[in-house]
Amino acid sequence: MRKFNTKFFRRALCVAVNLLPLTFSAVHAAERASGDPNATSLRLSPAQYKQTIADVFGTNIVIDGRFEPEVRERGLLALGARWANVSDIGIERYDDLARGISAQVVGPNNRGTLISCKPKSETAADDACARMLISKYGRLLYRRALNENEIATRVKLANDAATTTGDFYAGFAAVLSDMLISPNFLFRYRTVEADPAKPGAKRLDGYSKATALSYFLWNSTPDDQLIKAAENGELQTVDGLQRQVDRMVGSPSMESGIRAFFADMLHFSDFETIAKDTTYFPRYSTKINDLAQEQTLKTIVDHVLANKDYRDLITTRDTYLTRSLAALYGVPITDTADNGEPDRFIKHRYPEGDPRVGILSHVSFLALNSHSARTSPTLRGKALRENLMCQVVPAPPGNVDFTAVEDTASETLKTGRDRLLAHSSNPVCAGCHKITDPIGLALETFDAAGGYRTTENGAKINTSGVHNNVNFQGAADLLPLIRNDRALTSCVARKIYAFGTGKMPPRGSAEWDAIEKKFGEDGYNVLRLMRQVALSDIFYAVPPAEVDTATRN
Amino acid sequence: MQPGVRLFCMRAAALVVGVVFVPASGAMAAQTYGYMVSSLSTATWNDYATNCPQNLNGYGLDVTRRDLIAIGFSKEEAEKMTGADADAERLPRDVAQRLLLRATVNGKPVSHYSAPEAVPNPPVIESVVGPVALGFDLDGKITGTEFTDPETGAKIDNQLWRAIGCSENFRAIPPALPFTEELTWALAIDSAPAWMMSITGEDLTKDGPVTVTFERATKHLERDANGDVMTHATYVVDPMGRSHNVLKGEIKGGFLTVANVPKFYLQSEMPFFPEIELDKAQMRMQVMPNGKLLGYWGGYYDWKRYAYMITSRPGSGADTLGLYHSLKRFADATPDPKTGQNTQISMTYRMEAVPAFHSTVDGKILASPAADASVSAAMARRDPEVKPKAGPSPPRAQVK
Repeated sequence: MRKFNTKFFRRALCVAVNLLPLTFSAVHAAERASGDPNATSLRLSPAQYKQTIADVFGTNIVIDGRFEPEVRERGLLALGARWANVSDIGIERYDDLARGISAQVVGPNNRGTLISCKPKSETAADDACARMLISKYGRLLYRRALNENEIATRVKLANDAATTTGDFYAGFAAVLSDMLISPNFLFRYRTVEADPAKPGAKRLDGYSKATALSYFLWNSTPDDQLIKAAENGELQTVDGLQRQVDRMVGSPSMESGIRAFFADMLHFSDFETIAKDTTYFPRYSTKINDLAQEQTLKTIVDHVLANKDYRDLITTRDTYLTRSLAALYGVPITDTADNGEPDRFIKHRYPEGDPRVGILSHVSFLALNSHSARTSPTLRGKALRENLMCQVVPAPPGNVDFTAVEDTASETLKTGRDRLLAHSSNPVCAGCHKITDPIGLALETFDAAGGYRTTENGAKINTSGVHNNVNFQGAADLLPLIRNDRALTSCVARKIYAFGTGKMPPRGSAEWDAIEKKFGEDGYNVLRLMRQVALSDIFYAVPPAEVDTATRN
Repeated sequence: MQPGVRLFCMRAAALVVGVVFVPASGAMAAQTYGYMVSSLSTATWNDYATNCPQNLNGYGLDVTRRDLIAIGFSKEEAEKMTGADADAERLPRDVAQRLLLRATVNGKPVSHYSAPEAVPNPPVIESVVGPVALGFDLDGKITGTEFTDPETGAKIDNQLWRAIGCSENFRAIPPALPFTEELTWALAIDSAPAWMMSITGEDLTKDGPVTVTFERATKHLERDANGDVMTHATYVVDPMGRSHNVLKGEIKGGFLTVANVPKFYLQSEMPFFPEIELDKAQMRMQVMPNGKLLGYWGGYYDWKRYAYMITSRPGSGADTLGLYHSLKRFADATPDPKTGQNTQISMTYRMEAVPAFHSTVDGKILASPAADASVSAAMARRDPEVKPKAGPSPPRAQVK
């Protein structure tokens, strides 16, 4: 087999890459200029990109590279995806990723399973085989059937590349790379068509419905069955849509959607920049960042797939631990894996009376919302209010003096509570701190790494406070109050909708009110909620005007 | 029965004989604290100027120079091959082979590592003459060969230190370990199943009798973010029980001590130690302010096994022959009935241990870390670890 001609490959891609910014700009400028409020696009998140590649090409494909930064809006990256674009550096990154993926797809390890046709000659172009592959993978990557012009253009590119390099597979790899940096892959478009049932009105076309469904429930591209349902009109019928939704909710792939939503809601992307001072927290090694996220996500997935009450995530004693996490928490865990085997997650139940309950006692919440060497009751309270209860905490003014709070060596202000009281005695600060600090101070028995403590600088830690006019003594008293706060369930419902659509639920919508009411009647079952949202009209609604009707929160 | 199995059964039998019976009625302990041995090395006392006033042993190049003279090169030739401009790592191949094959067995040259007894005129290296070393009184006698322990002031037996203490390999002041031991311990941490130690007593904050139990874990030690051994991890006891020791001890006068252990055995892995095996073992340990244990284990060990351990370690090529014969010369216990040569040598290990959870395979928690760092006032270390003052590095040895 002739050696892969990287020079031609690069030249072909160079042309495509250089044209790409123009393509992007053209597409998006056209959207904005048209004034068509129905044309919205959401850029694939890194998790969606990876899941899509895994679902289309299998888990053997290694994705090695960096992604374009995401935009978080009103607490969700899913909302920010509306505004996300691709920068010059971003194109280079996507190009690197694309070339890496396509080289693996046609490489000898995967060719046997992923290239389902055999060219007449491996050293020459083959129209029929190229057409088959381009149609097959284009449909999955673009989430719609390619039209004849798209297919023909790409077949010609593949043939030209194959002829120049003397390698059929190099030709297909060039086209695959091109498709992987196309806006048709990197962005999810909502395209509309005339609604035959309502003259003058528009509806999402089948492909857009399939895409919306799939990235909502599975965080990935529609599978072949779903695309077929889009093509044959099934998704435009009540029964057909329900069939597909029920299939998807009952699929193992549902776990991906649940993970993706909660990772977004709980701001797990912030783990990329978190670091702890190992002088104070030697057990917080770099692998704890990944383990902490996985602990919480496994706990949540277990809980949701078991159809349990969402509110009980705040008070559950059940979780999963590895040996490293258990050491950080200061609890024993028996792992009988062989010497040299990596850490395993083992189911663990905290005994009655243990101070750890619920996901708010996880490292993923406590460490993520702390500084590198000290806790921040304010950050923890703010995270709970904003991320889990959809409440707004104003940003501090620009000229705040943090001296008292940061002085952890103070001889007189020994605990976080003492320092915060000194800081928030300033009336400028007091108003906001009243919202956040009582909650955060209840969690002060957990240090900045998530370890348990009862004293700070030799002084006993006071975790008492007031929430919604109810006195509490520590987290054990506070968390049931949080659990029963209506804001907790209303917030998760609204964010689940936002995760699927890229916008908050419409204000004043009777259908949305009914969905929220049913969530309560269903025992706050998240799976059922996601099903209800996926079956709702508002999930697929095409707004009549460009005005953002999303609820402001 | 295969030899290895027979040896294991003998050791198991010796352990059974040696273990002191613990009455069932006294076995309901109120507290059991768990630890993992996080550091183990030959205990050193490096007051070099006092210990080795002649400075005969020198550094690696000095050893090579002496060896070259021993195999027939002149002093000038040897100095040229090991001088400032020479690369002793790249001796001419034939010279390196002659250095290696210094032993003669059945008329044929063989490696001196394999047959150190068959080397004519083996080197006599300088031994420790200083008065201080760490250890224990193992034989209850005063024979004039004892050192004074700097921590307890007692007369102690540590002929191993006398034999090797002037060797460059063992020139280290804690927390630094002897070079090759530090190297191989660092490797062992990440692969060899770890050693577990628990202390059980009615009230470990007070003086009183305790039971000290040793086991081997199923997994190697875990490292923390600083590369040190992680505290508070959970280890599962190896159900095979090859390193199971139950020893009687007591907390008294600020120390946890164990005495009169006929045989103490921990299975190990090369190239670290082939095993930890001490006859007439004694121990003393204290708790540091950070909750870790620091202490010493002493007893008699087979001097040939110790010598073998030195020769099998990477980077230990310097002076292995000299060390072998020095250990043989200073061996001080258990004479061979046929030859009269002592087969064991008194020695001391320095150890550290970190708090940990211990569990059985089926999840029963046997031991937990103490509640906080100031766990046991009765055995808390009040003074810094005793160490000699670090002096300047000695000059290169003179060729004689």
